[in-house]
Amino acid sequence: MQLVVNIAVLASIYALISCGYVLIYRVSRVLSLAHGELMMLGAYGLVTTASLFAAQPGVAVAAAGLLAAATGALVYWVLMRRMTGEAVLAAVLATIALGILLRGAMVLIWSAQVQHPARMLGFDNPVVALPGGARLSTISLLLVGMNALVYLALWWFLTRTRYGIAMRAAGQNPRLAAQRGINLHAVYALAWGIAVFTGGLTGILIACDAGLDATMATIGLKAFPAALVGGLDSLVGALCGAVIVATAEVLLIHYVDPLLSDVVPFLVLTAMLIVRPWGLFGSREELDRV
Amino acid sequence: MPHASGYFRTTYGQDTRLVDTRTQRVAAGAFICALIALPWLANPFVLDLANQTLLAVVGAVALMLLTGFAGQISLGHAGLMAAGAFCTGILSKELGASIWLTLPASAATGALLGVIFGLPSLRLRGLYLAVSTLALHFIVIYLGHEYETRRGFSTGIVIDPPRVFGWELVDGRAWYVVFLIAAGGTVLIALNWLRSRTGRAWRALHGREAVAEALGIHVPLYKLLAFVASSTLTAMLGCLFAYYRGFVSGEAFSLFLSIQYVAMVIIGGMGSIAGAVMGAVFVTLFPYGIEWLVGLVSEALPEMRGLQNAVFAINYAAFGLVMILFLVFEPQGLAGIWRRVQAYFLMWPFKQKPLSGGGK
Amino acid sequence: MTRHALKPLVGATLAAISLCSGGFASAQDAYLIGVSGAMTGSAAATYAPVVESMRAYIDHINSKGGINGRQVKLVISDNQGEASKAAADAKKLLTQDKVLMLVNASLSSTYAPMVAEAKRANVPVFYAGAVCPKETYPPADPLQFCSTAFGAQYDSQMALATVKEMAKEPVRIGFSAMAIPLSRGEIDYAEGLSKTMGMTPVDKQIVPPPTPDYTPFATKLKDANPNWVYSWAPWVTQVRTLESLRRLGWNGRYIAYAHLNAEDELARLKDNEFYVFGTNAFFQDNLPIQAELRAVMHRAKLNYPITQLSEGYIAGLVLEAALKGAGWPTTAAKVQASMSNLKVDTKGLRGGPIEWTRDNHFRTKQHYRVYKWDTSKGAITRVKDWTAVEVK
Repeated sequence: MQLVVNIAVLASIYALISCGYVLIYRVSRVLSLAHGELMMLGAYGLVTTASLFAAQPGVAVAAAGLLAAATGALVYWVLMRRMTGEAVLAAVLATIALGILLRGAMVLIWSAQVQHPARMLGFDNPVVALPGGARLSTISLLLVGMNALVYLALWWFLTRTRYGIAMRAAGQNPRLAAQRGINLHAVYALAWGIAVFTGGLTGILIACDAGLDATMATIGLKAFPAALVGGLDSLVGALCGAVIVATAEVLLIHYVDPLLSDVVPFLVLTAMLIVRPWGLFGSREELDRV
Repeated sequence: MPHASGYFRTTYGQDTRLVDTRTQRVAAGAFICALIALPWLANPFVLDLANQTLLAVVGAVALMLLTGFAGQISLGHAGLMAAGAFCTGILSKELGASIWLTLPASAATGALLGVIFGLPSLRLRGLYLAVSTLALHFIVIYLGHEYETRRGFSTGIVIDPPRVFGWELVDGRAWYVVFLIAAGGTVLIALNWLRSRTGRAWRALHGREAVAEALGIHVPLYKLLAFVASSTLTAMLGCLFAYYRGFVSGEAFSLFLSIQYVAMVIIGGMGSIAGAVMGAVFVTLFPYGIEWLVGLVSEALPEMRGLQNAVFAINYAAFGLVMILFLVFEPQGLAGIWRRVQAYFLMWPFKQKPLSGGGK
Repeated sequence: MTRHALKPLVGATLAAISLCSGGFASAQDAYLIGVSGAMTGSAAATYAPVVESMRAYIDHINSKGGINGRQVKLVISDNQGEASKAAADAKKLLTQDKVLMLVNASLSSTYAPMVAEAKRANVPVFYAGAVCPKETYPPADPLQFCSTAFGAQYDSQMALATVKEMAKEPVRIGFSAMAIPLSRGEIDYAEGLSKTMGMTPVDKQIVPPPTPDYTPFATKLKDANPNWVYSWAPWVTQVRTLESLRRLGWNGRYIAYAHLNAEDELARLKDNEFYVFGTNAFFQDNLPIQAELRAVMHRAKLNYPITQLSEGYIAGLVLEAALKGAGWPTTAAKVQASMSNLKVDTKGLRGGPIEWTRDNHFRTKQHYRVYKWDTSKGAITRVKDWTAVEVK
């Protein structure tokens, strides 16, 4: 039972992170390798808002979330607007470069010390015992719940709302969408905003659960295989990919060798790339060359 | 591109010549003299920088062949270097092998890994290929780490300096000679490949695979060839790097190193060997430049001393910023700037650009 | 394209030559010490405070007139925890700045290239806040010295001795390490040692450095049902393993190394059965030297928690003593000689003096204290006062 809970928590972390990858890729065909750094930025945003609104934790978290969404839109407006539609490599590299820039800047602003935003806000994180003898922390439970909520909201947004449909249209055929009067830049900026918001949310939750330091950015990279296994342009895929990678990881840690957990996501990914490169649910597409 | 209005090539021989005008011969001669003179003029620190730069040139040219010419993205460059370095470390630790064994062995490992790294390229393109090389990078590093820990070399595998013809390679100058030969050799090999059938096939691949196939180019073969050529060179670089530093450790081959090599290719300018060389020089020297700059500023303005604490973070951030600036404003990289500066002087006093499409 | 291949290189080389002939004036009227630390990068949280507080102490010394009437100048460079940067730094510090001593505050993978450079120049290497390598233990390498609080093997000996002393029932011990060679090596050593001490090692978890969730690892550890768990790893791994174990409902006793932030962290975790052992005094002692440390760091405007600064301060004390003994004018050889016969009074920051002899560059006696959070008192208590472990 504990194993199932462990898988659920890890899968939720991976899924929440990878929905950012998927959203950006699906809408603008850009793979953002700065997602880990943006996630960390979201968490540091909470550190800042927490020191501003120490008395009202709700306000602090909401402000941090808004800040993350605004950052996403800003990243698109300042940098990615020029790179979207360029060669794949150039856009990917721009995000890598952005990641490096952000890492440096974050050390500059917040130093490299471990921070505990949960403590700054006065949250404590009691253990929840589930039926069947499994236990997990409240924030982990919140993470699982938030994951479900984010995916439901995204599904509703993409299929039921005007902007969501515009977003899918832009992803499918940008030229046609533009001709139908969809403002591509606004749609792309919105996608970046939402993606960084979900990333920031993950960062905030992980930081509240386990503390925040400079290594968080690498967690973004670990979730990345999940997005690819599921298929880079499918949200359902991201969810399934996250479950597969998390299951493989947790079971291997438990039954084989904990050391493998570092390479397993990438082994799963390699296997997937050999068998079905476009992922479980991804659409088979003519991929760009350099 | 016609070099000046009155100079045209009339034979194929002229077209494949590396150096063709007198000015170029003089410039190349002066440059080679300067390179040879450097170790006698420079202090050991500058010599070390020069050595690092020359090593980076080898790696950047190898990656340029693959990415800039054959059009295959790789984020596993550091993994390949690590493979060469670990091969060297393991052979010299376990068998006491000399450089005459480890260098070919590294090359062979590199070639083998090139095939493995290259196989996904037969099915994958673009982004997905980059990701598969990334995955392989992590796997190579993992294996290296396992060897290190299992054999108890927790602070890295220490390697004795190699003996070449009875000489022990310790001194920076001796290494400089080795690296100069390596870098020069790599550049020449790359230039020659590119002037040959192989190089033309790679360019065709880069242009459009379907067309390349229609032209009778064996696409899988040449793709694999590009990977093997590039990774053999890279693994040999790893071997030399291991000997130069005197030790091997997985931490030295982080993802950041791969990114640095990709940055060299981007900043230098895609599809240009000179670009790869310039990119290597730029990326290697850049952090030292920033450090020096911050040092100057904080010496001139005592109230800015706080800057010194931040210099390291600034350095890191500035590297990202420069990469972004190049990607956004100068996608052709340093080679593009160089071409434009050249064109400016050629056309002077006129300002219009030379006709495009005149061959680079 | 090919025709232009060589031209840009001319410019680059000329630039390089002009850079080197430009020259860097070095202050010959001051003690020059080279520092290469992990100021940025993933390890910066551990090493940057050490370097900064050492600098703050040296600034403090300088403001009081320096050592032997001379100022001390630290030339600091960032190696990001990367070996090749450390090598380049060492080369620059040795050949350009002509420093008397190299200080390393970085990951152990930077040691080998730095020591290779130092050996060539015959300049001593001083590890400050960075893991002490075997070469500083007797019989020591003549050029390598270390003042860092923790020491491989002695730490595990102390930890397991403490466990044995406190356990009334047979010990089933679990281990937790981070997947870095150093931590794994120590935990392997401890596993072997525990068998010779009559304990039953039940499980060993090795966690890769960036891990979003420690629970899967802790689950396995808990299922092996240990009554003690020992961890010797960077603080994250130690503490997050513990937190995950507790969340899973494990209520055995946990012992880990007291890194610099241990004092703050014990108060944060408030865990009655979490023991930490270490060699630095906690600030709750309120010693006069600690008040002085606080004042020095306050003047330097360092924005780290005060507890993280004692290691760098101690390194500063050692540096001061070493240079004092070396006199003026001095050479690297004199500094090395002074370091090989040194006794630094730590004034209570440690359990005893740091003593270096000709063949012991670690310290002759390593003093440990064991602390834990006492829930009934609501404060940190000393479980065991200074206990010396003989270093042979």
